Amino acid sequence: MLKGNWFTVVQEKAAMGPTTSRTVWQIQRDVIFALLVREMKTRFGKLKLGYAWVLLEPAMHIIVLGTLFSFLGREFYPGIPTVLFMLAGIAPFLCFSHCFGKSMAAVDSNRGLFNYRQLRPFDAVMSRVLLEFAIYLISLIALLGLLAWVGISATFNNFLLLIAVNLLYLCFCFGMSLALCVAGAKYPEAGKFAPLIQRPLYFMSGVFFSLEQVPEQYHPYLAWNPLLHVIELTREGLFSSYHGMFANLPYLAFSSLAMLGFGLLVYRSQWRDLVRSK
Amino acid sequence: MIELRNLTKSFRTPNGRKVLFKDVNAVFPEGKNIGILGRNGAGKSTLLRIMGGIDYPDYGRVITNERISWPMGLASGFQGSMTGRENAEFICGIHGIWGRSRQAVLDRVQDFAEIGDYFNAPVKNYSSGMRSRLAFGLSIAVDFDCYLVDEVMSVGDAHFKHKCEQVIAEKRKSAKFIIVAHAMPQLKKNCDVGIYLGPEGLQIFDTVEEAIELYQQGIPKPKVQQQNRAEQALKA
Repeated sequence: MLKGNWFTVVQEKAAMGPTTSRTVWQIQRDVIFALLVREMKTRFGKLKLGYAWVLLEPAMHIIVLGTLFSFLGREFYPGIPTVLFMLAGIAPFLCFSHCFGKSMAAVDSNRGLFNYRQLRPFDAVMSRVLLEFAIYLISLIALLGLLAWVGISATFNNFLLLIAVNLLYLCFCFGMSLALCVAGAKYPEAGKFAPLIQRPLYFMSGVFFSLEQVPEQYHPYLAWNPLLHVIELTREGLFSSYHGMFANLPYLAFSSLAMLGFGLLVYRSQWRDLVRSK
Repeated sequence: MIELRNLTKSFRTPNGRKVLFKDVNAVFPEGKNIGILGRNGAGKSTLLRIMGGIDYPDYGRVITNERISWPMGLASGFQGSMTGRENAEFICGIHGIWGRSRQAVLDRVQDFAEIGDYFNAPVKNYSSGMRSRLAFGLSIAVDFDCYLVDEVMSVGDAHFKHKCEQVIAEKRKSAKFIIVAHAMPQLKKNCDVGIYLGPEGLQIFDTVEEAIELYQQGIPKPKVQQQNRAEQALKA
Protein backbone atom coordinates (compact mmCIF):
# COMPACT_ATOMS: atom_id res chain seq x y z
CA MET A 1 0.00 0.00 0.00
CA LEU A 2 2.66 2.36 1.14
CA LYS A 3 4.99 1.34 -1.63
CA GLY A 4 2.38 1.67 -4.35
CA ASN A 5 1.53 5.12 -3.17
CA TRP A 6 5.13 6.20 -3.47
CA PHE A 7 5.69 4.85 -6.95
CA THR A 8 2.59 6.40 -8.46
CA VAL A 9 3.75 9.77 -7.26
CA VAL A 10 7.21 9.28 -8.72
CA GLN A 11 5.66 8.29 -12.03
CA GLU A 12 3.46 11.32 -12.12
CA LYS A 13 6.50 13.46 -11.49
CA ALA A 14 4.25 15.80 -9.61
CA ALA A 15 5.36 19.39 -9.47
CA MET A 16 7.64 18.85 -6.53
CA GLY A 17 11.05 19.68 -7.88
CA PRO A 18 12.72 23.03 -7.78
CA THR A 19 10.88 24.78 -10.54
CA THR A 20 13.14 25.59 -13.46
CA SER A 21 11.54 28.98 -13.76
CA ARG A 22 12.89 30.34 -10.50
CA THR A 23 14.75 33.57 -11.13
CA VAL A 24 17.93 34.38 -9.24
CA TRP A 25 15.98 36.72 -6.99
CA GLN A 26 13.46 34.02 -6.17
CA ILE A 27 16.24 31.59 -5.34
CA GLN A 28 17.90 34.20 -3.14
CA ARG A 29 14.62 34.91 -1.39
CA ASP A 30 13.84 31.22 -0.84
CA VAL A 31 17.29 30.52 0.55
CA ILE A 32 17.34 33.53 2.89
CA PHE A 33 13.86 32.80 4.16
CA ALA A 34 14.57 29.13 4.79
CA LEU A 35 17.81 30.04 6.57
CA LEU A 36 16.05 32.60 8.75
CA VAL A 37 13.52 30.04 9.91
CA ARG A 38 16.30 27.56 10.56
CA GLU A 39 18.38 30.06 12.55
CA MET A 40 15.40 31.01 14.69
CA LYS A 41 14.69 27.40 15.49
CA THR A 42 18.26 26.51 16.35
CA ARG A 43 19.00 29.71 18.25
CA PHE A 44 15.99 29.83 20.53
CA GLY A 45 14.22 26.53 20.05
CA LYS A 46 16.35 24.55 22.46
CA LEU A 47 16.56 27.15 25.24
CA LYS A 48 14.28 26.95 28.26
CA LEU A 49 12.54 30.27 27.78
CA GLY A 50 12.81 30.11 24.01
CA TYR A 51 12.09 33.31 22.18
CA ALA A 52 11.95 35.31 25.42
CA TRP A 53 15.75 35.46 25.24
CA VAL A 54 15.40 38.06 22.50
CA LEU A 55 14.37 40.45 25.27
CA LEU A 56 16.16 38.90 28.20
CA GLU A 57 19.69 39.39 26.95
CA PRO A 58 19.66 43.16 26.46
CA ALA A 59 17.47 43.43 29.55
CA MET A 60 20.13 41.74 31.66
CA HIS A 61 22.84 44.08 30.38
CA ILE A 62 20.68 47.09 31.13
CA ILE A 63 19.81 45.89 34.61
CA VAL A 64 23.49 45.42 35.44
CA LEU A 65 24.58 48.76 34.02
CA GLY A 66 21.47 50.53 35.30
CA THR A 67 21.92 49.38 38.90
CA LEU A 68 25.66 50.10 38.71
CA PHE A 69 25.16 53.66 37.61
CA SER A 70 22.13 54.38 39.73
CA PHE A 71 24.41 53.91 42.73
CA LEU A 72 26.18 57.03 41.51
CA GLY A 73 22.88 58.62 42.31
CA ARG A 74 22.60 61.14 39.54
CA GLU A 75 20.84 61.46 36.25
CA PHE A 76 23.26 60.60 33.51
CA TYR A 77 21.97 63.00 30.99
CA PRO A 78 19.62 65.81 31.95
CA GLY A 79 16.04 64.93 31.04
CA ILE A 80 16.64 61.27 30.20
CA PRO A 81 16.23 58.45 32.76
CA THR A 82 19.49 56.53 33.15
CA VAL A 83 17.92 53.22 32.16
CA LEU A 84 16.70 54.58 28.85
CA PHE A 85 20.06 56.18 28.21
CA MET A 86 21.75 52.80 28.71
CA LEU A 87 19.18 50.92 26.65
CA ALA A 88 19.77 53.12 23.62
CA GLY A 89 23.49 52.41 23.91
CA ILE A 90 23.42 48.73 24.76
CA ALA A 91 20.92 47.54 22.17
CA PRO A 92 22.86 48.70 19.07
CA PHE A 93 26.13 47.57 20.59
CA LEU A 94 24.85 44.06 21.29
CA CYS A 95 23.75 43.81 17.67
CA PHE A 96 27.22 44.83 16.56
CA SER A 97 28.95 42.39 18.86
CA HIS A 98 26.72 39.47 17.83
CA CYS A 99 27.29 40.19 14.14
CA PHE A 100 30.99 40.42 14.82
CA GLY A 101 31.28 37.10 16.60
CA LYS A 102 28.82 35.11 14.51
CA SER A 103 30.11 36.17 11.12
CA MET A 104 33.69 35.11 11.86
CA ALA A 105 32.52 31.53 12.31
CA ALA A 106 29.91 31.71 9.55
CA VAL A 107 31.83 29.55 7.08
CA ASP A 108 32.98 26.87 9.48
CA SER A 109 29.73 26.43 11.32
CA ASN A 110 27.74 26.11 8.09
CA ARG A 111 30.07 23.80 6.13
CA GLY A 112 27.44 21.11 5.84
CA LEU A 113 25.03 23.50 4.20
CA PHE A 114 27.37 24.34 1.35
CA ASN A 115 26.59 20.95 -0.13
CA TYR A 116 23.52 22.64 -1.53
CA ARG A 117 24.76 24.56 -4.50
CA GLN A 118 22.38 27.50 -4.10
CA LEU A 119 23.54 28.12 -0.55
CA ARG A 120 26.84 29.98 -0.24
CA PRO A 121 28.53 31.84 2.64
CA PHE A 122 26.89 35.05 1.45
CA ASP A 123 23.47 33.67 2.33
CA ALA A 124 24.60 32.40 5.71
CA VAL A 125 26.04 35.80 6.60
CA MET A 126 23.06 37.71 5.24
CA SER A 127 20.50 35.67 7.15
CA ARG A 128 22.47 35.98 10.37
CA VAL A 129 22.83 39.74 10.06
CA LEU A 130 19.16 40.15 9.19
CA LEU A 131 18.14 38.05 12.17
CA GLU A 132 20.46 39.89 14.54
CA PHE A 133 19.16 43.18 13.29
CA ALA A 134 15.54 42.14 13.63
CA ILE A 135 16.23 40.93 17.17
CA TYR A 136 17.89 44.25 17.97
CA LEU A 137 14.99 46.33 16.71
CA ILE A 138 12.35 44.14 18.34
CA SER A 139 14.15 44.10 21.67
CA LEU A 140 14.70 47.85 21.59
CA ILE A 141 11.05 48.59 20.84
CA ALA A 142 9.72 46.03 23.30
CA LEU A 143 11.96 47.20 26.13
CA LEU A 144 11.12 50.85 25.46
CA GLY A 145 7.45 49.92 25.64
CA LEU A 146 7.96 47.86 28.76
CA LEU A 147 9.81 50.68 30.50
CA ALA A 148 7.18 53.21 29.45
CA TRP A 149 4.55 50.90 30.94
CA VAL A 150 6.27 50.99 34.34
CA GLY A 151 6.57 54.75 34.07
CA ILE A 152 10.09 55.31 32.77
CA SER A 153 9.78 57.27 29.57
CA ALA A 154 11.11 60.29 27.71
CA THR A 155 9.64 62.46 24.99
CA PHE A 156 10.14 60.98 21.52
CA ASN A 157 12.04 63.00 19.00
CA ASN A 158 12.60 62.05 15.37
CA PHE A 159 11.33 58.94 13.63
CA LEU A 160 12.90 59.67 10.23
CA LEU A 161 16.32 60.08 11.77
CA LEU A 162 15.94 56.68 13.44
CA ILE A 163 15.03 55.04 10.15
CA ALA A 164 17.99 56.63 8.38
CA VAL A 165 20.41 55.66 11.14
CA ASN A 166 19.17 52.07 11.27
CA LEU A 167 19.27 51.59 7.51
CA LEU A 168 22.85 52.81 7.48
CA TYR A 169 23.67 50.68 10.49
CA LEU A 170 22.29 47.60 8.73
CA CYS A 171 24.56 48.34 5.76
CA PHE A 172 27.47 48.75 8.16
CA CYS A 173 26.82 45.45 9.95
CA PHE A 174 26.33 43.57 6.71
CA GLY A 175 29.49 44.91 5.10
CA MET A 176 31.50 44.25 8.22
CA SER A 177 30.13 40.73 8.59
CA LEU A 178 30.93 39.84 4.98
CA ALA A 179 34.51 41.04 5.40
CA LEU A 180 34.84 39.23 8.73
CA CYS A 181 33.41 36.01 7.35
CA VAL A 182 36.16 36.02 4.70
CA ALA A 183 38.79 36.95 7.28
CA GLY A 184 37.61 34.28 9.72
CA ALA A 185 37.70 31.57 7.06
CA LYS A 186 41.07 32.55 5.58
CA TYR A 187 42.87 33.25 8.83
CA PRO A 188 41.44 31.20 11.69
CA GLU A 189 43.77 33.10 14.02
CA ALA A 190 41.59 36.16 13.46
CA GLY A 191 39.12 34.66 15.93
CA LYS A 192 41.66 35.16 18.70
CA PHE A 193 41.76 38.88 18.08
CA ALA A 194 38.01 39.32 18.04
CA PRO A 195 37.57 39.90 21.81
CA LEU A 196 40.63 42.10 21.72
CA ILE A 197 38.83 44.46 19.36
CA GLN A 198 35.37 44.09 20.77
CA ARG A 199 36.04 44.81 24.42
CA PRO A 200 37.71 48.20 24.04
CA LEU A 201 34.93 49.16 21.64
CA TYR A 202 32.43 48.55 24.41
CA PHE A 203 34.07 51.33 26.38
CA MET A 204 34.85 53.59 23.43
CA SER A 205 31.51 53.58 21.67
CA GLY A 206 29.53 55.60 24.16
CA VAL A 207 27.47 52.73 25.47
CA PHE A 208 27.39 54.41 28.87
CA PHE A 209 28.45 57.96 28.13
CA SER A 210 27.78 60.68 25.65
CA LEU A 211 30.52 62.35 23.65
CA GLU A 212 29.54 65.65 25.23
CA GLN A 213 30.65 64.37 28.60
CA VAL A 214 34.14 63.62 27.32
CA PRO A 215 36.73 66.44 27.35
CA GLU A 216 36.93 68.01 23.94
CA GLN A 217 40.61 67.20 23.45
CA TYR A 218 39.78 63.47 23.09
CA HIS A 219 37.07 63.97 20.49
CA PRO A 220 39.36 63.71 17.46
CA TYR A 221 40.27 60.15 18.52
CA LEU A 222 36.88 58.89 19.60
CA ALA A 223 34.91 60.41 16.75
CA TRP A 224 36.48 58.10 14.17
CA ASN A 225 34.40 55.26 15.51
CA PRO A 226 31.20 54.88 13.41
CA LEU A 227 29.59 52.89 16.21
CA LEU A 228 29.76 55.93 18.45
CA HIS A 229 27.84 57.91 15.86
CA VAL A 230 25.23 55.16 15.57
CA ILE A 231 24.63 55.21 19.32
CA GLU A 232 24.63 59.00 19.57
CA LEU A 233 22.24 59.37 16.67
CA THR A 234 19.96 56.61 17.98
CA ARG A 235 19.66 58.50 21.24
CA GLU A 236 19.06 61.73 19.40
CA GLY A 237 16.29 60.09 17.40
CA LEU A 238 14.70 58.55 20.47
CA PHE A 239 14.84 61.36 23.03
CA SER A 240 13.93 64.95 22.34
CA SER A 241 16.07 66.28 25.18
CA TYR A 242 19.19 64.62 23.76
CA HIS A 243 21.23 66.88 21.55
CA GLY A 244 23.95 64.66 20.16
CA MET A 245 25.97 67.75 19.45
CA PHE A 246 28.92 65.95 17.95
CA ALA A 247 27.16 63.14 16.16
CA ASN A 248 27.46 63.36 12.42
CA LEU A 249 24.98 61.67 10.09
CA PRO A 250 26.97 62.30 6.86
CA TYR A 251 30.02 60.68 8.42
CA LEU A 252 27.96 57.67 9.46
CA ALA A 253 26.48 57.45 5.96
CA PHE A 254 29.91 57.61 4.39
CA SER A 255 31.49 55.03 6.67
CA SER A 256 28.53 52.63 6.43
CA LEU A 257 28.42 52.68 2.65
CA ALA A 258 32.20 52.40 2.48
CA MET A 259 32.04 49.40 4.81
CA LEU A 260 29.30 47.79 2.72
CA GLY A 261 31.30 48.34 -0.46
CA PHE A 262 34.45 47.00 1.17
CA GLY A 263 32.67 43.90 2.47
CA LEU A 264 31.07 43.15 -0.89
CA LEU A 265 34.39 43.59 -2.70
CA VAL A 266 36.28 41.36 -0.29
CA TYR A 267 33.62 38.68 -0.54
CA ARG A 268 33.41 38.96 -4.31
CA SER A 269 37.13 38.47 -4.69
CA GLN A 270 37.33 35.48 -2.34
CA TRP A 271 34.02 33.66 -2.23
CA ARG A 272 34.99 30.63 -4.28
CA ASP A 273 38.00 30.07 -2.07
CA LEU A 274 35.76 29.92 0.98
CA VAL A 275 33.98 26.77 -0.17
CA ARG A 276 36.62 25.31 -2.51
CA SER A 277 38.43 22.20 -1.36
CA LYS A 278 42.16 22.74 -1.28
CA MET B 1 23.85 18.57 -21.31
CA ILE B 2 26.91 19.01 -19.14
CA GLU B 3 30.01 20.55 -20.64
CA LEU B 4 33.43 20.64 -19.01
CA ARG B 5 35.67 23.38 -20.31
CA ASN B 6 39.40 23.54 -19.48
CA LEU B 7 38.71 21.97 -16.13
CA THR B 8 41.77 21.84 -13.87
CA LYS B 9 41.89 20.81 -10.24
CA SER B 10 44.79 20.29 -7.89
CA PHE B 11 45.24 19.78 -4.18
CA ARG B 12 47.87 21.26 -1.94
CA THR B 13 50.10 18.73 -0.23
CA PRO B 14 53.25 19.24 1.84
CA ASN B 15 55.28 18.10 -1.18
CA GLY B 16 53.79 20.56 -3.64
CA ARG B 17 50.63 20.51 -5.67
CA LYS B 18 49.05 17.24 -6.68
CA VAL B 19 47.19 17.65 -9.96
CA LEU B 20 44.03 15.57 -10.17
CA PHE B 21 43.18 16.48 -13.73
CA LYS B 22 44.29 19.19 -16.10
CA ASP B 23 42.58 21.01 -18.96
CA VAL B 24 39.73 18.57 -19.34
CA ASN B 25 37.30 19.29 -22.16
CA ALA B 26 34.23 17.14 -22.58
CA VAL B 27 30.58 17.26 -23.51
CA PHE B 28 28.14 14.82 -21.96
CA PRO B 29 24.96 14.67 -24.02
CA GLU B 30 21.54 14.76 -22.44
CA GLY B 31 20.26 11.56 -20.92
CA LYS B 32 23.66 9.86 -20.54
CA ASN B 33 24.36 8.36 -17.15
CA ILE B 34 27.95 8.89 -16.12
CA GLY B 35 30.02 6.53 -13.99
CA ILE B 36 33.22 7.74 -12.35
CA LEU B 37 35.93 5.24 -11.44
CA GLY B 38 39.30 5.49 -9.85
CA ARG B 39 41.30 4.49 -6.86
CA ASN B 40 40.95 6.05 -3.44
CA GLY B 41 42.13 9.63 -3.44
CA ALA B 42 42.09 9.94 -7.22
CA GLY B 43 39.55 12.77 -7.00
CA LYS B 44 36.30 11.01 -7.90
CA SER B 45 34.20 12.74 -5.31
CA THR B 46 35.83 16.07 -6.07
CA LEU B 47 35.00 15.72 -9.75
CA LEU B 48 31.43 14.77 -8.87
CA ARG B 49 31.08 17.81 -6.64
CA ILE B 50 32.60 20.12 -9.23
CA MET B 51 30.12 18.86 -11.81
CA GLY B 52 27.36 19.49 -9.31
CA GLY B 53 28.47 23.08 -8.70
CA ILE B 54 29.27 22.44 -5.03
CA ASP B 55 33.03 22.59 -5.30
CA TYR B 56 35.04 24.73 -7.68
CA PRO B 57 37.96 23.92 -9.99
CA ASP B 58 41.22 25.87 -10.03
CA TYR B 59 40.52 26.93 -13.60
CA GLY B 60 37.86 26.22 -16.15
CA ARG B 61 34.11 25.95 -16.03
CA VAL B 62 31.24 23.52 -15.92
CA ILE B 63 28.44 24.63 -18.21
CA THR B 64 25.03 23.06 -17.84
CA ASN B 65 21.35 23.78 -18.24
CA GLU B 66 20.25 20.97 -15.98
CA ARG B 67 18.97 20.98 -12.46
CA ILE B 68 21.58 19.00 -10.57
CA SER B 69 20.89 17.55 -7.14
CA TRP B 70 23.00 17.65 -4.03
CA PRO B 71 24.95 14.41 -3.39
CA MET B 72 22.30 11.80 -2.79
CA GLY B 73 21.81 10.54 0.74
CA LEU B 74 23.98 13.26 2.20
CA ALA B 75 23.22 13.83 5.87
CA SER B 76 25.83 16.47 6.74
CA GLY B 77 23.41 19.31 6.09
CA PHE B 78 21.18 18.21 8.94
CA GLN B 79 20.97 20.31 12.07
CA GLY B 80 21.00 17.96 15.05
CA SER B 81 18.80 20.02 17.32
CA MET B 82 16.03 20.31 14.73
CA THR B 83 13.56 17.53 14.06
CA GLY B 84 13.60 15.46 10.91
CA ARG B 85 10.53 17.35 9.74
CA GLU B 86 12.14 20.75 10.31
CA ASN B 87 15.26 19.67 8.45
CA ALA B 88 13.14 18.45 5.58
CA GLU B 89 11.21 21.72 5.59
CA PHE B 90 14.47 23.63 5.36
CA ILE B 91 15.60 21.66 2.34
CA CYS B 92 12.24 22.16 0.68
CA GLY B 93 12.59 25.86 1.44
CA ILE B 94 15.93 26.37 -0.24
CA HIS B 95 14.59 24.54 -3.27
CA GLY B 96 11.59 26.82 -3.48
CA ILE B 97 9.01 24.28 -2.40
CA TRP B 98 6.46 25.92 -0.13
CA GLY B 99 2.89 25.41 0.94
CA ARG B 100 0.94 22.44 -0.28
CA SER B 101 3.61 20.88 -2.45
CA ARG B 102 5.93 21.01 0.55
CA GLN B 103 3.41 19.07 2.60
CA ALA B 104 3.29 16.47 -0.17
CA VAL B 105 7.07 16.14 -0.16
CA LEU B 106 7.16 15.85 3.63
CA ASP B 107 4.53 13.11 3.66
CA ARG B 108 6.45 11.20 1.05
CA VAL B 109 9.74 11.53 2.89
CA GLN B 110 8.14 10.26 6.07
CA ASP B 111 6.58 7.34 4.23
CA PHE B 112 9.72 6.42 2.40
CA ALA B 113 12.18 6.77 5.26
CA GLU B 114 9.97 4.56 7.46
CA ILE B 115 11.02 6.34 10.60
CA GLY B 116 7.47 6.85 11.84
CA ASP B 117 7.11 9.18 14.79
CA TYR B 118 10.83 9.79 14.93
CA PHE B 119 10.21 12.18 12.07
CA ASN B 120 9.16 14.67 14.73
CA ALA B 121 12.13 13.99 17.01
CA PRO B 122 15.46 15.84 16.89
CA VAL B 123 17.84 14.39 14.33
CA LYS B 124 20.61 14.07 16.93
CA ASN B 125 18.59 11.25 18.53
CA TYR B 126 18.51 9.26 15.29
CA SER B 127 20.56 6.16 14.71
CA SER B 128 22.92 6.40 11.76
CA GLY B 129 20.64 4.14 9.73
CA MET B 130 17.62 6.36 10.38
CA ARG B 131 19.66 9.40 9.52
CA SER B 132 20.72 8.06 6.16
CA ARG B 133 17.22 6.79 5.40
CA LEU B 134 15.86 10.26 6.02
CA ALA B 135 18.60 11.76 3.84
CA PHE B 136 17.96 9.29 1.07
CA GLY B 137 14.22 9.83 1.24
CA LEU B 138 14.75 13.56 0.91
CA SER B 139 17.06 13.26 -2.09
CA ILE B 140 14.51 11.41 -4.12
CA ALA B 141 11.52 13.40 -2.93
CA VAL B 142 12.82 16.50 -4.71
CA ASP B 143 12.86 16.19 -8.48
CA PHE B 144 16.00 16.95 -10.45
CA ASP B 145 17.21 16.36 -13.98
CA CYS B 146 20.39 14.85 -12.74
CA TYR B 147 21.25 13.13 -9.47
CA LEU B 148 24.70 12.87 -7.93
CA VAL B 149 25.43 9.56 -6.24
CA ASP B 150 28.56 9.17 -4.17
CA GLU B 151 28.82 5.53 -3.09
CA VAL B 152 25.62 5.57 -1.11
CA MET B 153 23.40 3.39 -3.27
CA SER B 154 23.14 1.00 -0.37
CA VAL B 155 22.00 2.41 2.94
CA GLY B 156 20.09 0.64 5.65
CA ASP B 157 18.90 -2.95 5.78
CA ALA B 158 18.15 -5.34 2.93
CA HIS B 159 14.51 -4.32 2.74
CA PHE B 160 15.35 -0.65 2.43
CA LYS B 161 18.12 -1.35 -0.06
CA HIS B 162 15.67 -3.16 -2.28
CA LYS B 163 13.24 -0.26 -2.06
CA CYS B 164 15.99 2.19 -2.99
CA GLU B 165 16.98 0.17 -6.02
CA GLN B 166 13.39 0.11 -7.22
CA VAL B 167 12.99 3.84 -6.81
CA ILE B 168 16.27 4.54 -8.58
CA ALA B 169 15.23 2.30 -11.46
CA GLU B 170 12.00 4.29 -11.62
CA LYS B 171 13.87 7.60 -11.48
CA ARG B 172 16.15 6.57 -14.31
CA LYS B 173 13.26 6.93 -16.70
CA SER B 174 12.93 10.64 -16.08
CA ALA B 175 16.33 11.66 -14.75
CA LYS B 176 19.96 10.76 -15.18
CA PHE B 177 22.63 9.87 -12.70
CA ILE B 178 26.29 10.64 -12.15
CA ILE B 179 27.65 7.81 -10.04
CA VAL B 180 30.85 7.29 -8.10
CA ALA B 181 31.16 3.68 -7.02
CA HIS B 182 33.54 0.83 -6.51
CA ALA B 183 30.93 -1.81 -7.17
CA MET B 184 31.36 -2.72 -10.84
CA PRO B 185 28.02 -4.47 -11.34
CA GLN B 186 26.23 -1.39 -10.15
CA LEU B 187 28.15 0.83 -12.55
CA LYS B 188 27.55 -1.59 -15.44
CA LYS B 189 23.86 -1.61 -14.71
CA ASN B 190 23.35 2.12 -14.30
CA CYS B 191 25.89 3.95 -16.46
CA ASP B 192 26.36 4.70 -20.16
CA VAL B 193 29.52 6.79 -20.13
CA GLY B 194 32.62 6.05 -18.07
CA ILE B 195 35.20 8.40 -16.62
CA TYR B 196 38.43 6.88 -15.34
CA LEU B 197 40.54 8.96 -12.98
CA GLY B 198 44.03 7.53 -13.03
CA PRO B 199 47.49 8.69 -12.05
CA GLU B 200 47.94 10.29 -15.48
CA GLY B 201 44.76 12.29 -15.32
CA LEU B 202 41.25 11.87 -16.55
CA GLN B 203 40.06 9.67 -19.40
CA ILE B 204 36.56 9.57 -20.81
CA PHE B 205 35.09 6.50 -22.52
CA ASP B 206 31.94 6.10 -24.57
CA THR B 207 31.01 2.99 -22.65
CA VAL B 208 31.47 2.31 -19.00
CA GLU B 209 32.89 -1.16 -19.76
CA GLU B 210 36.07 0.31 -21.24
CA ALA B 211 36.62 2.40 -18.12
CA ILE B 212 36.04 -0.63 -15.92
CA GLU B 213 38.54 -2.62 -17.96
CA LEU B 214 41.19 0.04 -17.53
CA TYR B 215 40.41 0.33 -13.84
CA GLN B 216 40.77 -3.40 -13.33
CA GLN B 217 44.07 -3.59 -15.21
CA GLY B 218 45.77 -2.19 -12.16
CA ILE B 219 44.43 -4.94 -9.91
CA PRO B 220 46.29 -8.25 -9.78
CA LYS B 221 43.89 -11.05 -10.75
CA PRO B 222 44.10 -13.29 -7.65
CA LYS B 223 43.11 -10.40 -5.43
CA VAL B 224 39.97 -9.85 -7.45
CA GLN B 225 39.02 -13.46 -6.96
CA GLN B 226 39.66 -13.15 -3.28
CA GLN B 227 37.46 -10.11 -3.16
CA ASN B 228 34.74 -11.94 -5.04
CA ARG B 229 34.97 -14.83 -2.65
CA ALA B 230 34.77 -12.49 0.27
CA GLU B 231 31.75 -10.81 -1.22
CA GLN B 232 30.07 -14.13 -1.88
CA ALA B 233 30.78 -15.16 1.66
CA LEU B 234 29.21 -11.97 2.89
CA LYS B 235 26.18 -12.42 0.70
CA ALA B 236 25.65 -16.01 1.82
